[in-house]
Amino acid sequence: MPKRPTTLLDELGIAAGNVLDAATGVFTPTLRLGVTGLSRAGKTIFITSLVNNLIEGGRLPLFAPLAEGRLIAARLAEQPDSGVPRFAYEKHLAALRAPTPAWPESTRRISQLRLELRYQSARWHAGFTGPQTLNLDIVDYPGEWLLDLPLLGKTFAEWSAEEFAAATAPPRDRLARPWLAITQSLDALAEASGPDAEILARAFTEYLLACRADEHALSTLPPGRFLMPGDLEGSPALTFAPLPAPQHPVRSSTLYAMLERRFEAYKSLVVRPFFRDHFARLDRQIVLVDALAALNAGPRAMADLESALAEILRAFRPGGANLLTGIFARRIDRILFAATKADHLHHTAHDRLENILDKLVDAAARRAKFAGAETRSLALAAIRATTEGTVDEDGETLPCIIGVPQKGEALDGVNYDGTTQIAFYPGDLPDFPGPLFDAGKTTSLKFLRFSPPTRDPATPGLPHIRLDRGLEFLIGDRMR
Amino acid sequence: MSRSPRRHAEKASRGPAAFDPSKAEIEAAPPATFAEPGMALVDPLTQSELRPRANLVVRAFWGALGLLVSLGLALAAERFLADLFSRYQVLGWVGLGLLAIMSLALAVLIAREIVALLRLRQLARLQEAAALAFAADEIKAARVVAAELSELYAGRADLARARARFDADAPNVFDGAELIRLAERDLIGPLDLRARTLIAVSARRISIVTAVSPRALVDLAFVAFECVRLSRKIAQLYGGRPGFFGFWRLARAILGHLAITGGVALGDSLVQQLLGHGLAARLSARLGEGIINGLMTVRVGIAAMRTIRPMPFLTRNPPNVVEFMVELAKFTAAKEEPPAPTP
Repeated sequence: MPKRPTTLLDELGIAAGNVLDAATGVFTPTLRLGVTGLSRAGKTIFITSLVNNLIEGGRLPLFAPLAEGRLIAARLAEQPDSGVPRFAYEKHLAALRAPTPAWPESTRRISQLRLELRYQSARWHAGFTGPQTLNLDIVDYPGEWLLDLPLLGKTFAEWSAEEFAAATAPPRDRLARPWLAITQSLDALAEASGPDAEILARAFTEYLLACRADEHALSTLPPGRFLMPGDLEGSPALTFAPLPAPQHPVRSSTLYAMLERRFEAYKSLVVRPFFRDHFARLDRQIVLVDALAALNAGPRAMADLESALAEILRAFRPGGANLLTGIFARRIDRILFAATKADHLHHTAHDRLENILDKLVDAAARRAKFAGAETRSLALAAIRATTEGTVDEDGETLPCIIGVPQKGEALDGVNYDGTTQIAFYPGDLPDFPGPLFDAGKTTSLKFLRFSPPTRDPATPGLPHIRLDRGLEFLIGDRMR
Repeated sequence: MSRSPRRHAEKASRGPAAFDPSKAEIEAAPPATFAEPGMALVDPLTQSELRPRANLVVRAFWGALGLLVSLGLALAAERFLADLFSRYQVLGWVGLGLLAIMSLALAVLIAREIVALLRLRQLARLQEAAALAFAADEIKAARVVAAELSELYAGRADLARARARFDADAPNVFDGAELIRLAERDLIGPLDLRARTLIAVSARRISIVTAVSPRALVDLAFVAFECVRLSRKIAQLYGGRPGFFGFWRLARAILGHLAITGGVALGDSLVQQLLGHGLAARLSARLGEGIINGLMTVRVGIAAMRTIRPMPFLTRNPPNVVEFMVELAKFTAAKEEPPAPTP
């Protein structure tokens, strides 16, 4: 049984916050939608497209409130929490709507956006109340930070042991060599010194960065702030690294004791406030998974992605909604698992992408269902960058996607310059996802990254695939 | 949501490749005929009631009888014409001309009947295909259904806007069940509302006529007449233009449907029966009978709706008798408003 990630005091604080939220939400209900996912999974693009399509009334035929004409208007409202940066929606949209569209910058810190939805309910009592309002708070944070949540239940010694164990398996063993050499050259029981700790921390960070690089695309790389430091860069709470556990208790002046203290400080100063103030207060959750990048890198990256997702999803608090206890304890009652970048595949392969996603999140989905939450898996593209077609090649008909690969993408020795359009066939996804996780097997799959689509002035909203279905699942039931 | 994995032919998995976009065939509209669904519908409950189900012996009987009668008629006509020619040459020519006109008109009538029957058959096929595509969540089959539905209503001015919206949205939907849901909501939904209005108006008219008619025979005849009229109107609304024989098939399907669902409806509307015989009957015996007759019309109307609708009620709730109770209670106001639809 792992240790609970929160203390009793945290729980009291969370409950107090929830009571406050419930009190202010009596007249205008608020729905907090958490958008999470590992880095480069497409969180920023998802939020931008979601907000844009709701505001402009885009093509969302499967989102019932809009399609039935009951959504009167959506607008951006004032930020509810003064302490949290605002999601830079306008900036991201401007990048996508520029004459030469570019993907927006990725998430570097937590941000939030409140969307006010005014709608007419279709229930029998709607005639008495008239149009109603729902505040949709969208919370966006770097995927890396999520990997920290499991640390809350671990001690320094446990975490160190796990890190050293992970560093022995390929391909990590090769990447970890410089960092391990430095660790061995230092004496953990010597007097603590700042420079030693810095050297160690830098070597450890470089190892993590190497693991994340495209050709390996590994995902399980805590602590998250090492990769995405935010405003804490260089502070002692971010200057530590795992050390082999000593045989007997150590004095408080040793290097080991100092790093242990910093690890605890990291937990209490960085991870726990994030968990308490944001993560534990969500109603709905969407988990974006970029399975295609992991497929590009091979079976090891897939297995790593699977374990990273399992770690993250353990921090969720799923459960059925209950009118009475809901005041004190917020539970995530709906979780949507979304395999993003579905536009990089022909729609006939979406089923198989969803199968892969199902396998990736299997354990978490089962746990959430047991707790009473609803889950669903979807292959979606928040912004659709390609169109579809078929190519006849050697008597075979290949389902292709047509789009402009991003500058720097390469296939079969051809480097693309970011302006030529190609019809692209990424290879067959297998019917059963098993072999994709098997390190012994090789698969010939390649997914290129595509440039964003140019604007089509005839249709409002950004083009997408299945964003409306996701939206219907996440907020549709609250707008009936 | 788990979806059925598509079966792929056994072949080595293919690797990635890039092509010149000029080589690519941009995917066009789906074919206008049904793709083989791959499996047969064996469930008699999901099989459309509009499908003719006469057995071979019955068919042989009616076919032979028809041929015999036509032979007799032809012989009689020939004799008659010969008679006319033998009396007066001119009369013979007039008779021949009249016969020619009659046969021409008959041919046109027959052609119309055949078209009407084919239309009913198309609706039956659509019902089955839609149910299958929805159950299997097959995008290919669903697109064929959607294209045919859109085609079915191509000439309808009242659906022009709904159709334009549907045709614009449909290519961006990649899930079979969702596309069927979209079609049911956008294309069939407006028709459902109007069908409800028709049923409500008919039921109210019958209630009033029953309540005020002097003889039981009069209101019985009126009920029969109104039920026939309602069924025809609903069929026209959903795109079936039943001719004479088409209507017989439709009527048989509706009666069959009533027979199947009769037991269920009895339990579901026991309260109303009690109300009809009880509360309203206390006020006036005729009033109670009026309500009962009205409810019967409602049931016929709902059966007609379920029978002729191009797809079964898959994602929307079918109307039930209770919804129309309020309408029936408004004896005085003859406003033609639909009852509130269930979402």
